[in-house]
Amino acid sequence: MKLRAIASVAALSLAAMGSAHAVQLTVNITNLTHGQSFTPRLLVAHDATVDLFEVGVPATDALAWLAEAGVIDDLQAPASAGRNFQAALGGVPASAGALVSNPTNNWQRFGGPLAPSTTSADYAFDSGDFEFLSLATMLIPTNDAFAGLDSIRIPTEPGTYTYLLDAFDAGTELNDELNSARTDITEDVTGLPLGGYAVPGVAGGDVPTRVADLGIGSTGVAVQASGSTIVDGTDGPVHIHRNVLGDTDAAGGASDLDSRVHRWLNPVARITIVVPQ
Amino acid sequence: MKAHTLKLSILPLTAALLTACGGSSGGSAANPVESTTASYTVQITNLTHSQPFAPAAIILHEPGFNSFIDGEAASVGVEQLAEGGSPTIALSEAAAASEHLVSIEGAGVGPSTIGNVETVSIPTANAANLRLTVMTMLVDTNDAFTAVNAIDVSNLAIGSSMSFDAPTWDSGTEANTETADTMPGPAAQGASGLAEGFNVLRDDLLDQVHFHPGVVTSANSTDASAEGLSTSVLTEADRWDNPAARIVITRTQ
Repeated sequence: MKLRAIASVAALSLAAMGSAHAVQLTVNITNLTHGQSFTPRLLVAHDATVDLFEVGVPATDALAWLAEAGVIDDLQAPASAGRNFQAALGGVPASAGALVSNPTNNWQRFGGPLAPSTTSADYAFDSGDFEFLSLATMLIPTNDAFAGLDSIRIPTEPGTYTYLLDAFDAGTELNDELNSARTDITEDVTGLPLGGYAVPGVAGGDVPTRVADLGIGSTGVAVQASGSTIVDGTDGPVHIHRNVLGDTDAAGGASDLDSRVHRWLNPVARITIVVPQ
Repeated sequence: MKAHTLKLSILPLTAALLTACGGSSGGSAANPVESTTASYTVQITNLTHSQPFAPAAIILHEPGFNSFIDGEAASVGVEQLAEGGSPTIALSEAAAASEHLVSIEGAGVGPSTIGNVETVSIPTANAANLRLTVMTMLVDTNDAFTAVNAIDVSNLAIGSSMSFDAPTWDSGTEANTETADTMPGPAAQGASGLAEGFNVLRDDLLDQVHFHPGVVTSANSTDASAEGLSTSVLTEADRWDNPAARIVITRTQ
């Protein structure tokens, strides 16, 4: 756990930084990208024992589920039970998107797909008396890219605080950039179709917020298909994503992503946190 | 550092406080009187490899005004600035706002070059709650611009500076075709295209201001990867990464 809290208003007093008390935060997120959508957002207020991700450290199963498939809890994907962030953080949401309170954290899933160049609704989030705030959301369509806010210290001084988020690579899947809807290629050994957790392929190409259809027929970027199969692998630990390559051939080339649509330059998101009086 | 605030890049430079000169020859020991004018210099450094910056819109204003907002459609002024490089309409739009204090057009800045020192002055009373907006086009693009957007420069002491590293926005008003006919800069002119600047047509993926994805360029457009854009007149040398500009504001009076 690192202490990377960065206040956006000048001169927060040390005294103010040191006190923690229950606060109802208002949080929103802006997708700053040209052609990447965001999956539902995981917001976590937590103590120093909780860490969603850490650069230089291999991703947890929970992060892999979020970064490869956009999955946070059992309600989204029963197959993820026991290995997702619901399992890692604890508790069971009373309903989809309900707040879950645990001894070391409060967590909540917010929203649906967030289209490029749009700002989410304002999320009312009870941060309890926890000191830190983290957020993660997958970039789709990608193999395992996510935007993350890593353990900022929740400001105690009332005000509006703004943070810019970079895109990270979970490192749990090779960035083949193959369309997960393809049926002409399957994962080696398992024979599973592309996409989703633990199988290669870009997830999210068919979400309603897509701005361009994915291509087909490409050979792969970071790993190439051999015949009708592809061998997945990892490229971790967690690191700043090197961006997607894409190509300009929707029926061939190296990638099923579009180099004119799906690339980004960091940062990819802005979150605004309002700390009430 | 994973999460950085908008103001993370503020680097308070060493304050060189000006000392009041007491050399009055008349012998009357006049008390120092605070000037009614606060003056600032703004200097833009082009951090890119080969993207020239067009003339800049430099605006000092009160809180509450934004030339553009992420996720919203660009104004015609921002569209003109981002597509054609002219800050004129954007400056007019700013001047029409009740929060406007002063604005000027700054000179263009070449790639990897420190720009001119531009000077602006406001009533001293406004220095306590002051915002800075600077916008300038990357001219070898369809509609990319680098900017600081209503950033807080309140209470800057005389002689001190603040420095901001600026990302690159896509105005969302023109498709990023990278052709010789659609970009106003030297790359398009060198390719003998129409090099059109502003066009009222809004044909980007989304008519919303957002962060720029970078240019694709024609690199690797003819190999098996098909990564590049064969119709682009840009080369790999025209790429950039964020930040694209450094903007330094210094209070001089």
